Amino acid sequence: MRIVPTPDWFLGKDVLIETFSFIVLLIFTVLALKYYKLNKNRNIFYLGLGFGLIALAQLATIFTKLVLYYNIGPSQAIGQAIITSQIVSSVDIFYYAGFMFHRFLTLAGLYIIYRLPRERKSIGDYALVIYFIMISALLSREFFYLFHLTALVILVLIVENYYRIYKRNRFINTKILMIAFGILALSQLIFILPGVEIMFVLGNMVELISYTILLALIIRIWKYGKKKKPYGNNLRYAGNSSGKRRKH
Amino acid sequence: MLAILQEKGGSIKPTHMMYKANLSHSQMKTYLDELIDKKLINRENTKKGNLIVITKQGKDFFFQYSQMREFEKTFGL
Repeated sequence: MRIVPTPDWFLGKDVLIETFSFIVLLIFTVLALKYYKLNKNRNIFYLGLGFGLIALAQLATIFTKLVLYYNIGPSQAIGQAIITSQIVSSVDIFYYAGFMFHRFLTLAGLYIIYRLPRERKSIGDYALVIYFIMISALLSREFFYLFHLTALVILVLIVENYYRIYKRNRFINTKILMIAFGILALSQLIFILPGVEIMFVLGNMVELISYTILLALIIRIWKYGKKKKPYGNNLRYAGNSSGKRRKH
Repeated sequence: MLAILQEKGGSIKPTHMMYKANLSHSQMKTYLDELIDKKLINRENTKKGNLIVITKQGKDFFFQYSQMREFEKTFGL
């Protein structure tokens, strides 16, 4: 059984893509927490938490893969043996734990982002969801597609959420966000498809496109704050409903 | 008020501010005092008369606020 289904020539490149994703997710987390400090909107905090958990998941997988690929730390020969000879021994618990954290935190983060626009439920509901996410993450060790399938389902629900929001506000940024999550969902679909190695590369590339779009969205939001708005628009952004002014 | 100041290039006469913000004199005084207290605006006496001027801190706060609103709107929060 192979831990990471990557072709040899792609070793390390996937870590670079994950590092890029981690940076994008970290920026979203920091921004959300910064805005939460500004207006104490709990939804912004939860959004930051969601992105933060996925960022942590990326960090877990980056760290695990670095040890696995570049033989850092005490398990020098073991990591190489796992990749090349496909040997799985009891020593590789470290790798499974790393990838388990990745799967659990990713699914938990995606679920929080999905739940955001909806009304709060009881602690019992959340406990049940955490339980199911835990089962998915644990079982994904044997059935790797289970994680991607669960992520795909949650991502489709997130896209559906943002589609509803976009229909309501017709805001271009929401459309960009919807597309980014849509592409991320597509990457999960690719990971599920057979032909493991090439699909792993393709899935990673699609994931990279998705995170690049998310980065472009951050830049767009950031630049908007710096831009001087046309007459009257500042009032709308200042949250003033009396933006409609009298004609003199 | 910060939005109006930004729109008018950073400074405005108090009377103009009162009309643009659609506030009474007493309301405006309360808000101005608060903004001055938080160092977001200043009052300056110039040749043109008494002006309300946005500070660097005020500009930064307004940029951040605009970004936050944009962020909230993007996610439908």
